[in-house]
Amino acid sequence: MSDGVRRERRIWRPDIGADIDAELAHHLDMRERDFRERGLSPVEAREAARRRIGDPTTIRREVRSIDERAARERRRAGMWTDFHQDMLYACRGLRRTPGFTAIAVLTLALGIGANTAIFSVINTVLLRPLPFPDADRLVFVWNTHDGQPEPLGPGRLRDLQTQVTSFASFAGISHISYTLTGDGDAERIAGSSVSSGFFDTLGARPLLGEPFHKGTADPSAVVLSERLWRRRFGADPSIVGRTITLNGRARQVVAVMPRGFVWPSITAQPSSADTGPELWVPGGPGDVPRTAVNEDLDVTGYRNTGYLRCVARLKPGVTLAQARAEVASVGARLSRMYPEDDGRGATLVGIRNQFAGAVERPLLVLAGAVAFVLAIACANVASLLLGRGAARRRDLALRRALGASRMRIIRQLVTESVVLAFAGGAAGLLLAWWGSTSLLSLTPPDIAGISRSGIDGRVLLFTLGIAVTVGIAFGLAPAIELSRDRLTDALAEGGTRTSGSRRTSRTRDVLVALEIAIAVVLLVGATLLVRSFIGLTRVDTGIDTHNLLTFDVSVTGDRAEYQSRQVQFYESLIQRLGAVPGVRDVGAAVTLPIGGDDFGTGYLIEGRPVPKTKLRAGYQIVMPGYFHAMGIRILSGRDFRSSDDRKAPPVVLVNETLAREQWPGLDPVGRRVRFDDDGQWMTVVGVTGDIRHLGPSVPPRPEVYQSVTQRSFPFIAFVVRTERDPYDVMPSIRRAVLGLDPDLPLSGVRTMDEHIARALAKPKFLSTLVAAFGGLAVSLALVGIYGMMSWSVTERRQEIAIRMALGASRERMLSMVLGRALLLASTGIAIGLAVAPIATRALSGLLYGITPTDPLAFALTGIALGAVAVLSALVPALRAARVQPAMVVKY
Amino acid sequence: MNDRTTVDLLQGTLAALILKSLSWGSLHGYGIARWIEQITEDELLVEEGSLYPALHRLQARGLVTSEWTLSDTNRRVRCYTLTEQGRQQLRAELSRWERFSEVVTRALQSRRPRTA
Repeated sequence: MSDGVRRERRIWRPDIGADIDAELAHHLDMRERDFRERGLSPVEAREAARRRIGDPTTIRREVRSIDERAARERRRAGMWTDFHQDMLYACRGLRRTPGFTAIAVLTLALGIGANTAIFSVINTVLLRPLPFPDADRLVFVWNTHDGQPEPLGPGRLRDLQTQVTSFASFAGISHISYTLTGDGDAERIAGSSVSSGFFDTLGARPLLGEPFHKGTADPSAVVLSERLWRRRFGADPSIVGRTITLNGRARQVVAVMPRGFVWPSITAQPSSADTGPELWVPGGPGDVPRTAVNEDLDVTGYRNTGYLRCVARLKPGVTLAQARAEVASVGARLSRMYPEDDGRGATLVGIRNQFAGAVERPLLVLAGAVAFVLAIACANVASLLLGRGAARRRDLALRRALGASRMRIIRQLVTESVVLAFAGGAAGLLLAWWGSTSLLSLTPPDIAGISRSGIDGRVLLFTLGIAVTVGIAFGLAPAIELSRDRLTDALAEGGTRTSGSRRTSRTRDVLVALEIAIAVVLLVGATLLVRSFIGLTRVDTGIDTHNLLTFDVSVTGDRAEYQSRQVQFYESLIQRLGAVPGVRDVGAAVTLPIGGDDFGTGYLIEGRPVPKTKLRAGYQIVMPGYFHAMGIRILSGRDFRSSDDRKAPPVVLVNETLAREQWPGLDPVGRRVRFDDDGQWMTVVGVTGDIRHLGPSVPPRPEVYQSVTQRSFPFIAFVVRTERDPYDVMPSIRRAVLGLDPDLPLSGVRTMDEHIARALAKPKFLSTLVAAFGGLAVSLALVGIYGMMSWSVTERRQEIAIRMALGASRERMLSMVLGRALLLASTGIAIGLAVAPIATRALSGLLYGITPTDPLAFALTGIALGAVAVLSALVPALRAARVQPAMVVKY
Repeated sequence: MNDRTTVDLLQGTLAALILKSLSWGSLHGYGIARWIEQITEDELLVEEGSLYPALHRLQARGLVTSEWTLSDTNRRVRCYTLTEQGRQQLRAELSRWERFSEVVTRALQSRRPRTA
């Protein structure tokens, strides 16, 4: 206590200048008096005294600077000792109340830990620099068709390359799968055929060798990824110069790119992609990347075939907006010149958006969710601090009476809360470190794919910043509140309820109601996301996915040359697979739904004028028997037959949606359609049931099916319906395939259920996490209400005892406490439900089959939190009802 | 006034004298100056331009403290008091001075050494 007084005096600052003046004036007067006593006249005495002291301004200046420096040093030392003492005091205080400290630190650890974990993912995906020099100058270029981005064709690639002046360099990329043979099992590897300027555009440096450069690419060169080099070639240091066989053709390895050179498979629409390409080869004639459909085709003049992803580097000084405007105007001009361009526009997207575009929204939603959790944690700890402070109220009031300034007390209390926050932050960091590993296992591939997330300097800084902010945030309100008391108020009545504690109780009420409101918002969001996800898992995709196995096959060499041989090969493979024990049905398709390729086409209907907006449909190429194997119904007409070959008249099937849109109420069988880039009319021979080709969340669209027997590709995907677990049958299936051709690689072995699970990975990730955070928020709110109610029962023990002594029943006390909790909760719930629609608007694009203002979700949340409030007030209420009047009043 | 030998104050000597002047009790600045003048019978002329800076420096070092009091004539006067630390410093100064003057005296009074 005397300690406090002594320290307060330091804050009193003397007027240094005035003191020195007074001191010197006194000196002069005394000297003058002495001189007078020795017989000098008053005037002479004053003169002599002045002469004696010399120049007073010099003395004053010198003394002043000495005193000021001393004062500064004292203040600095004082602040340090204050801080040091506050820290000691805080630590001592927290050690004395281990229960409070443990709950507060745990609460903060959960809040800070959740934020740190999510930030570490955001840091990796959205903030960490991409592994290319000046990556901010890299853009992706797309065609636009009806506002949707789509890949460029070779003609427009070359035109944009030569006509757009904003680009320093420009490269096309075509995703192609290659079959690698020799040195072990044949293997299908994701690769890219790229313009020769690809590596120059990215500015990427190799790990080994030298990649090809613009205009000087050897057509037989290949660049490997570090992963492929390590996995397939045992990290052979002399790999450069070696010859490997890709698609039956010899290629020379010229370089290996480093591990950091990660290049996700980019699609026009952000989607969950598999691992990126593992090798790169130069393009074909005219430096145009080759097509996956036919590697040897010269596509230089093609304008209407879009398969190219394009990356460009902006010229120095050109802004993204300028470049985008130029690309748009060149794209429009090209479309005016070439009718084949079909009125397409052109646009560009920054590389970071392109890589992270699909995951940015979910991550920001998660960031919002954890911010809410942290806010609740703060409110909780603030409320706990207030409750704890009430007990120390008299001590604080006494210190103020003894001279401690209010500022001083606030500083001390805030120091205490910052110490708490640091402890919580440290524990939270541990939680986040442990949590981010399990977070990663939940993460969909396109979030985790870019690189592993981890805790780096930036994450540590973030956690530190959050701990300090949070410490001040939840410490300040209680500090201001508790420092307000005057001694008289606090000491006047020995321990009964004071005006101060009534005020504290009000502040705590507000905090608890706020907590509940935030929990409501979070829980509404979680409910929406979970219900949306459950809805997605229940969507009927139109496919019977039970025991359905899929895998990819591609043919090379002779078989790839002739379409007739391909078909023959596919038919014999279907036959062989059908004979494998445990296999019920076999089908095959070039374009497998959900996770497979997707083609689109424009089409015309016989006998109708060419419509103003072109008719478009998905374009699927399947083998006869495919629909049966997939469990897709044929609603009218017939399936393809093997007799529908290249010599027979061309036929197609259409799906239900297309039939309904074009021939409402009529049967399309027998009518004729043609593709807009092909003159041949094709007869519709059947109508199939709808399937969701692009995944559970995308509704069916019009589809045109063609038979592989009339148009084949050197690659195909098989679907096999098995009688038991598909993976049990897989070894026999593999034997059957290799029995036909030992150099045939099987890849992408997966069940249809797994394909669907992959398509749902992102909504699952988001809904799981938000639900977890929602649960966390509710349990924190529960702790908050519980703490608040038990504190208030303790505070009001005497009041309760007196009421009971006067005849109030135990039931009445019980309902009084519960009623108060319910009132608090319903205030919070009302506020939360009122605010929630604003917050859930952020979810609008992420929800499926449910609106952001779904009344059921809102109602359920309200009821759930009301129940939680009553439940958590039950224990304190029972305690109130058990109060023994006699005991308390006597005491 | 009479003839007077002016002795240059050696570095630190003024501080030692101030500490000594306060060893019997509190004094204000003028009192310290007067005490030095009297005790040295005006042979040592205290430069007032260095007295006050020296005093405040001692205060900053914590060797003396000051307090404002009221004089008989009801004026605000700053009085200086020796701290415990100042007292120790004075003892140290004293013994150092004694050794110093002894050595210097012996040196100055020595005879020409006899050569062997």
